[in-house]
Amino acid sequence: MKIAIIGGGPGGYYAAIRASQLNAEVTLIEKEHIGGTCLNKGCIPTKVLLHAAGEFENLNKNLKDYGIKITGAELDWDKLQKRKTIIVRKLIAGVDNLLKNNKVTKIMGEGSFVNRNQIMVKSDDGTETTVDFDYAVIATGSKPVIIPIPGVELPGVITSDEALSLKQIPSSMVIIGGGVIGSEFAAVYGALGCKVTIIEMLPNIVANMDRDIVAPLKEKFKKKGIEVYTNTKVVSISESAEGLIVNTVSDGTEKTFNAEKVLLSIGRKPVTDNLALKNVGVETNRGAVAVNKNMQTNVPNIYAIGDAIAGVMLAHAASSEGIVAVESIMNKIPEIDFKTIPYCVYTKPELAGVGLTEEQAREKGYDVKTGIFPMNLNGKAMIEAEQEGLVKYVIDGATGEVLGLHMSGPSATELIAEGALAVRLEATIDEIMSTIHAHPTVAESLHEAAHAVYNNAIHIPK
Amino acid sequence: MAEFVLMPKMGLTMTEGFLTNWRKLEGDTVNKGDVLFDVETDKLTNEFEAKSSGVLRKILVNEETVKILVPVAVIGTADEDISELLKQAGGKIEEAAPKKEEGPIIEAVPSAAKAGDRARISPRAKKIAQELNVDYNLLTGTGPGGAITENDIRKFAEEKPKNKVSPTAAVVAEQLSVDTDKIQKDTRIMKADVVKYKMDENLTKYAAPQEYRTPMSTMRKVIAKRMLESVQTSPTVSFNIKVDTTAMKQLRDELKDEVKVSYTDILVKIVSKVLLNYPLLNSTVDGNEIVTRNYVNMGVAVAVPTGLLVPVVKFSNVKGLKDISKELKDLGERAKINKLTPDELIGGTFTISNLGMFGIESFTPIINQPEAAILGVNAIIQEPVAINGEVVIKPMMNLSLTADHRVVDGAVAAEFMSKLKEYIEKPGLLLL
Repeated sequence: MKIAIIGGGPGGYYAAIRASQLNAEVTLIEKEHIGGTCLNKGCIPTKVLLHAAGEFENLNKNLKDYGIKITGAELDWDKLQKRKTIIVRKLIAGVDNLLKNNKVTKIMGEGSFVNRNQIMVKSDDGTETTVDFDYAVIATGSKPVIIPIPGVELPGVITSDEALSLKQIPSSMVIIGGGVIGSEFAAVYGALGCKVTIIEMLPNIVANMDRDIVAPLKEKFKKKGIEVYTNTKVVSISESAEGLIVNTVSDGTEKTFNAEKVLLSIGRKPVTDNLALKNVGVETNRGAVAVNKNMQTNVPNIYAIGDAIAGVMLAHAASSEGIVAVESIMNKIPEIDFKTIPYCVYTKPELAGVGLTEEQAREKGYDVKTGIFPMNLNGKAMIEAEQEGLVKYVIDGATGEVLGLHMSGPSATELIAEGALAVRLEATIDEIMSTIHAHPTVAESLHEAAHAVYNNAIHIPK
Repeated sequence: MAEFVLMPKMGLTMTEGFLTNWRKLEGDTVNKGDVLFDVETDKLTNEFEAKSSGVLRKILVNEETVKILVPVAVIGTADEDISELLKQAGGKIEEAAPKKEEGPIIEAVPSAAKAGDRARISPRAKKIAQELNVDYNLLTGTGPGGAITENDIRKFAEEKPKNKVSPTAAVVAEQLSVDTDKIQKDTRIMKADVVKYKMDENLTKYAAPQEYRTPMSTMRKVIAKRMLESVQTSPTVSFNIKVDTTAMKQLRDELKDEVKVSYTDILVKIVSKVLLNYPLLNSTVDGNEIVTRNYVNMGVAVAVPTGLLVPVVKFSNVKGLKDISKELKDLGERAKINKLTPDELIGGTFTISNLGMFGIESFTPIINQPEAAILGVNAIIQEPVAINGEVVIKPMMNLSLTADHRVVDGAVAAEFMSKLKEYIEKPGLLLL
C-alpha cells in the first residue's frame, strides 16, 4: 500500500509514522521544513519565547521575595533567538530521525497532483520527482490571514511569522486580533519592555474559551500595562514619522493607536492553492479541503487533514486527524474522540479548556451546573507565586456528566489532561471528587472545583 | 348399546383425515344428526353428523389425524359400562398413532415440535437465554443428549464479562431504567448507547409488535405442499396475449334471455375446444411418457374463505355452454360452503384461474399438477388500441398462460394462445 503525504508538519509526520507502523509504504513530501508551522513558525518557537519571557518576569518580580537577589538582569534577544533556533533544529532533526527509523521516504519539494495516482514534486534545485500512490493525504497546513485593509502592505505590518524573529524587541506594538496567537505575543513582548496594545473586534479576547477563565488573563494584562480594546474594528493602517498608525472604530467612535510594529493575528487560512486539486477533482470549501469524518475527500483515495481542512486549527488536532486518516486507509477503525481536544494559551496565567464552555453547554440546553475554585486559595499556586486564575468544571445537572473543564493558572495546559480524560470516559463529577489528588499541587484545585459543584469545597469559605 | 363413532370415509381415495373442532364435550347428549366434529382431508373439510343418539361417553380422538374407520368416540347411554369398547379402542388407536409422522399432515402444536434440531436447547432455556442476552450457540449443553439447560445458560451469563460502562452512562441507565448488560457492544458503553437503547425500547413499546402464530389448516398445508411441488417439478414459461372481448360480450348479451353466462363460462367452452387441437397443453408427464387425451376435464379455480379449491367440469369439451354455466355456478357455490365431493376435485386436465374481477392485469399462475399448463384470466380494461392506423378504445383482456416446458415448447404455447385469441375474438369459429 503506497501512501503519499504532502506536508511534513504535525499532521503529516504523525500520519507518516502511523502509516509506517501499519506497514504501508510511505512517502512524505515537504516544501520547506519538516515539522511544518508547529515546529518552525508556531507552537515551538512561540513557547520558547514565552518560556523565556516568563522566566524573565519571574526573575524580576518574584524571586526577590524568596531571598534571591538579582540585579541587572537582561534579556539578550539575539541569544534567545539563537536558542529558539537550536531547539527548533533539534526537534526537526528528531522528527527526521523518526521518519528514517520508520522507513518513510522523504522528498523535499512542492508537491502537486498530476492525477489520482501520481504527485509531481518540484524541488528547489529544479529536479522533478514523480511519486506514485495508492492513497494520498493532504497535510499542507495554513498561513496567516492578511486582512484586505489599506496600509496592510506597509513595512512594519507583520504576521506571526515575522513576529517570531524580529531583529530586536520593538518599543511598541499594536496587535490586531486578541485570540490565542495575539494574546501569546502580547505576553511575550509585554514582558520584555515593549508597549503592547491589543485591538479585538469581538466583545472579548480569546473569545473561543470560557469567559470566566479569560478574566484573570485580562486582569494580568492590565496590571502589566498591556492595553486591551474589545469591540474595536481596524479600518486602516497608515504611516507616520515615528512608525505606524492604526485607525480603528469602536461603536461609532474613531480611535487611533501608534506603534512601531503592527502584528496581524486575526487567524489562519488553509494552504491548498498549489496542489493542482482540479487535476484530481478534490472539492474545497472556501479554500479548505472538504472531508468526511474519516478525513476522506470526495475522491475516495485522497484524504486531507490539519489546517488544510480548517476546522480546529491546532497541532494536536492535526496529528489526531492524521492518525484517523491513515487508520481509515489501512482499514482500521479509528478510535479518536475529537470531543477531547484541549485548547491552550501559554500566557501567564496559562489558559486551558476542554469540552463545552458554560455558554456552549447552556446553548445546547443542558441543565448546567458549575464548580469554581479560585487559584488564590491554592497552596502550590502561592508557592509558585502565580495566584491568578481559577478552575471551573461545567457539568450536566441532570446526570452529573462532566461537560467541560476550564482553567487559568499555573500549568493549566498540563492539568487540562484530567478534563480531557474525564470527557473521554464520560465521567461524572463524582469520579473527579472520588479521585485523590496529590497535595500540595495545583492539581488539587481541580479536585476542589469538582467539590464546588455541590458546594462542598473544603477550602472555599461558606 | 354403546357403540363407536368411526372416522368416516368421505370419498373414494380418502385414507385418513384430521379430526378437529369437537362441538360436544364428554357427557353431552347427542342427537342423531347433530354435528359432532370436522374432518379435514387434503381436498376439503366436512362436518361430521352423529349417526345415532345417546350420550357422548368418551372422546378418543381430537386434533389428530387418524385412518378412516378408526374409532374416534363412544356414544352410549349415560351409565353403561364401556370399558370393553375402550380396551378395543386402545389397541386400535395405538396402531393409528405412528402414522402421525407420515406425510405433511402433522399437527403443528408447538410444544410437540421436539424432533431433530430443537432437542439441543429446551424452550425454557431458550427463553432464559434471550432474557440474559446469551448466545446459546456458544455453549455446550450438559443436559440429556447434549441439550442446553437453564443452568447452563445462567452459568454462562454469570461468567460472561460484563460490558464496561462509562459513569455518565451508568447514571443515565439508572434514570432510564435500562439494564446495561442488555446492550450489545464490544467496547465501553457510553451515554449515547444507553439513550439509543431506551429509544429503541420505547419505539418497540409504542409499536407493540405482535407476531401471530396460527397452525396451518389442512387445506393450507396441502396448497403449500402442492404449490412447492409444482414449482419444483415443472420448468415453466409464461405467455401473455391480449384479446378483444367485444365478441364475448356480444355473445353474453345475445344469450342473456336464455341463460346468463359469465366470461369464465365462455372461456371454459372455448379453451376446451382449442385444447383438443393442442393436446400437449392438455397433457400429463408420467416418467418418460406423455399422456394426452381426447377429452378435457376443465378445472376452474374458486377462491374460498379458507383458501382455494379447483372443482372440475368433467368432459367440458362435450358440454354445451348452458350446461357448463350451470355446472360452474353450482360447483362454485358448493365450493364456497365446502360442500364439494372429493370426486369433484380430481381428474382435471387443464385449469383456468380468473382474477379479472380484482383488476389484475397479468399474473403467473402455478400449474396444477399433474397438468401441463394453466391459464390465468385478467381484467377487461378499456384500452386504446391501434387499428388501421387509428386509435380506438377496445375492451381488452390479457390472458396469462403458464406452461410446462418439459412438454410444451414456446412455439406450441404461442400458437395455442394465438388460436385462443382468434376464437375468443371470433366465437363463430366454434360452430365450424
